[in-house]
Amino acid sequence: MSNVIECKNLTHYYGKKLVYENLNINVKEGSILGLLGKNGAGKTTTINILHGFLQPREGECLIFGENTQNLSPITKSRIGFLIEGHVQYAFMDIHQIEKFYSGFYPKWNNEPYWELMSKLKVTPKQKISTMSCGQKSQVALGLILAQEPDLLILDDFSMGLDPGYRRLFIDYLRTYAKAENKTIFATSHIVQDMERLIDDVLIMDYNRVLAQSSIGDFMGNFKQFNFKLNSPGIDLSKEDFVVNLETTGKEIELFTYESESFVKDFLKKNNISVDNFTEIKMGLEDAFIGLTGKY
Amino acid sequence: MYKSVFYKEWIKTKWFLILLSLIGLLAVGNIFLKVQHNITFNGANKYWYLILFQNQLYFKSLKFVPLLIGLTIALIQYIPEIMDKRIKLTFHLPINEDKILLIMLGYGTFGLVVSFGLIFSFFSIMSSHYFGKEIVDAAIISVLPWFLAGLAAYFLAALVILEAIWKYRALYFIAAASFLLLFFEGGIAGSYSPVNFKLIILTLLISISLIFSAYRFRKGEM
Amino acid sequence: MKKISRYILVFITILAFAVAIPKLYWLAFEKPIQAPLVMYSCIDDGFMIQYYDQEFIRTDTKGNIYTRDEFELKLPLFYIRQLLINGTMPDTIKGVAMDVHEISRTKSSYRYRPLYKNAPDPGLYPLFESESGRANLEMPLDYFRIKERMEFVIASSNKVDERKTQMFTTVLNNRGFVFPSKMIAGLPTTRKTIDEGYIVIDDADQMFHVKMVEGEPYVKKVDVPEGLKFKRIECVDFKDRKYYSYLISDANELYILTQDDYELIKWPVEDFNPEIEELRIYGDLFNYTITLKGPNYLNITVLDDKYNKVDQYYDSWTALSETKAGKAAAFIFPAEIRMTDANSSFVNFYFERTKGFLWLILNVLLMAIHYTIIRKNGFKLKRNLIDFTVILITGIYGFLAVNFFQNKFFD
Repeated sequence: MSNVIECKNLTHYYGKKLVYENLNINVKEGSILGLLGKNGAGKTTTINILHGFLQPREGECLIFGENTQNLSPITKSRIGFLIEGHVQYAFMDIHQIEKFYSGFYPKWNNEPYWELMSKLKVTPKQKISTMSCGQKSQVALGLILAQEPDLLILDDFSMGLDPGYRRLFIDYLRTYAKAENKTIFATSHIVQDMERLIDDVLIMDYNRVLAQSSIGDFMGNFKQFNFKLNSPGIDLSKEDFVVNLETTGKEIELFTYESESFVKDFLKKNNISVDNFTEIKMGLEDAFIGLTGKY
Repeated sequence: MYKSVFYKEWIKTKWFLILLSLIGLLAVGNIFLKVQHNITFNGANKYWYLILFQNQLYFKSLKFVPLLIGLTIALIQYIPEIMDKRIKLTFHLPINEDKILLIMLGYGTFGLVVSFGLIFSFFSIMSSHYFGKEIVDAAIISVLPWFLAGLAAYFLAALVILEAIWKYRALYFIAAASFLLLFFEGGIAGSYSPVNFKLIILTLLISISLIFSAYRFRKGEM
Repeated sequence: MKKISRYILVFITILAFAVAIPKLYWLAFEKPIQAPLVMYSCIDDGFMIQYYDQEFIRTDTKGNIYTRDEFELKLPLFYIRQLLINGTMPDTIKGVAMDVHEISRTKSSYRYRPLYKNAPDPGLYPLFESESGRANLEMPLDYFRIKERMEFVIASSNKVDERKTQMFTTVLNNRGFVFPSKMIAGLPTTRKTIDEGYIVIDDADQMFHVKMVEGEPYVKKVDVPEGLKFKRIECVDFKDRKYYSYLISDANELYILTQDDYELIKWPVEDFNPEIEELRIYGDLFNYTITLKGPNYLNITVLDDKYNKVDQYYDSWTALSETKAGKAAAFIFPAEIRMTDANSSFVNFYFERTKGFLWLILNVLLMAIHYTIIRKNGFKLKRNLIDFTVILITGIYGFLAVNFFQNKFFD
């Protein structure tokens, strides 16, 4: 399977502040990649480079083999962009906006659009500006789906949505993508939703990539162990296998890619006495926080 | 494609275009009500005399009407594009970015030309009804730069609005305002005759200025 | 296209700033420069000069200083009303008895400015009734133009008066007039003593005197010497009725057209430049004082009443470019563009290059500043060579323009 998105050696600075260095991202055809990161970690920078609104200091991003700085109209017609906040032409109503977009896309298929619209309780003449965030998100999604794009780039799609709409959005999207072999690149700051949607995960932190793998591998290999530390004054956070360590008094939350036996062996070897050693089952959000830290 | 862009711009601007054109026509109507009044009270020959030899500009109140129309249309057309950085949607459309901007600009220009054309024609017809050809010709030479200023203001306002950084927006505004002053030097009727053609060329040149700020936006200056 | 759009913006900004910045500069720093008042004294047969330097100073060409009263006594015909009040008006001057009526009859004052000539033609003129039998002139109900015929347009209806048009056109044709007219000169005002109609130049450069007498056309062809053409004719309304008009020939000579016998007499005035010089003619019982006023000089010729040259005088004062503000401007501005000009009624781009090359110092300085700006922003020098050239040539204007419209992505 070929890569739909290929970013090679991306390096970018804002002024003198490094955003990231030598970042590589590949998104395979038919896969759904979730880009996770805290605010300021470079999510928006990456999205802007993919959108062609930012020229990276070094490196390049290719979509369908074309540099995102100068996408040809044909390639752009194969990409559905969802802009942060589900921004759309708010001065139109749902009929006007459908009419507007249909003029640009040769493969325009308004079925999924009207299917989504039929679930909205909006009047035919209602301006998009007067709709709720959830309704707007459905309009924006419907328009992208009607384009019949091969790739969807969704920037913070969950923003402003209440849980029901979020679920609706994600389920609709995944079913659609899998049925039609679409590729999706998505970011969201509500991590828990992503688990239902994505195949692969890319977690960014300031200046670096913390994790880049399939969601299955990541959730399978990344573990949390909680225990009570009896020996005071021992600092485990400097150890190589420790990805992150949260301490509350004597209570320790340890995050690692190593197995339970490895950790236990390590503690034994170093004569560190602990109580209540338990592995905690994590959701994606827990894992995300475990990996990036609470602060 | 063209139809779609025109359709979107039409949704944004239709009421303003119609309303502003009506206001422009009313402004012309008002001018000739005053002309009629002056002729009734002072006699046509004395009024002609004031116009021909005392430098009375009967059309003076038209001065800023095209400017206001041009600026308003630019605001109505481009402010919704920059709110929430909506212009991104436009750039994502499967069409060359400069081309779609020029189509949008072409729509606005066409709308203004139609609106100005109506107002200008009405003005010319009414002038020709009341005054001799020489008076009308001088009046047309004098009002032409005002209509050009309306177009120039539209083009430059697009440039200023699409610029995303306030500092540069302010600098563009200063440059644009200084430039627009050239169209409003005043003077006696017909005084713009040596310069009108040059102003037409300059107005045509700046028509594509929004390409500049839009390109900056696309390259991350926001 | 992006690059072109930037250069267009830079260009129009330079243009707009070359107009706006000097305008603001002069508004802030220009000081009034008063030209001296120079008159010819019939008492001394010499020039009397009044100028302002903290206070009014009255002097003559020999350097004598006068009080106000003494000064006015030297110019009795000019200050006659004041001398009459003071009771100091002499009874005779040069053996001529001073008759108030005669002094007033022979007194004339006239001014021409270049912007009268460099102005749009009205194209429509009122033709007054020259012998209405009324004390005051009345504004006619129609206006005439001379195109393929002499057309009278009735103002109230905006329609051509065919009968009157026919009548005047026929007479003009009979007199050999070649339509259309090249110039129509007259005094289109009711505020004159009597009407003498218009002096008209036809398409074959022939001169005609056209007026209306008791509703009928009066057309007189004026004999103009072969090869003599006029660029400007200024009709006058003086009580002595010696001549119809002053005329400026294509060779910048000054003529008068005498009344009744239509003689063109050349006045001995040299080096008149009607494009930039104001012309003032003051006539009295004894003399004509012809003042050519340039931007910073006066060139005065005095004629006797037979139009023979009797004296001349030249005076100059500090030019604007020599004042402090002017010298500073020569350092700041490589050139200025004005939309209006003191010598023209037309709006245009009046380009004026600054004399000398002092401004190059500032331009090079601005290039250095621009270099530091470029370095600070991490732009490449090579990409900015055109911008540097623009600054070198256009200085402050170009410096502002290229920095207003940043050269960030345009290589």
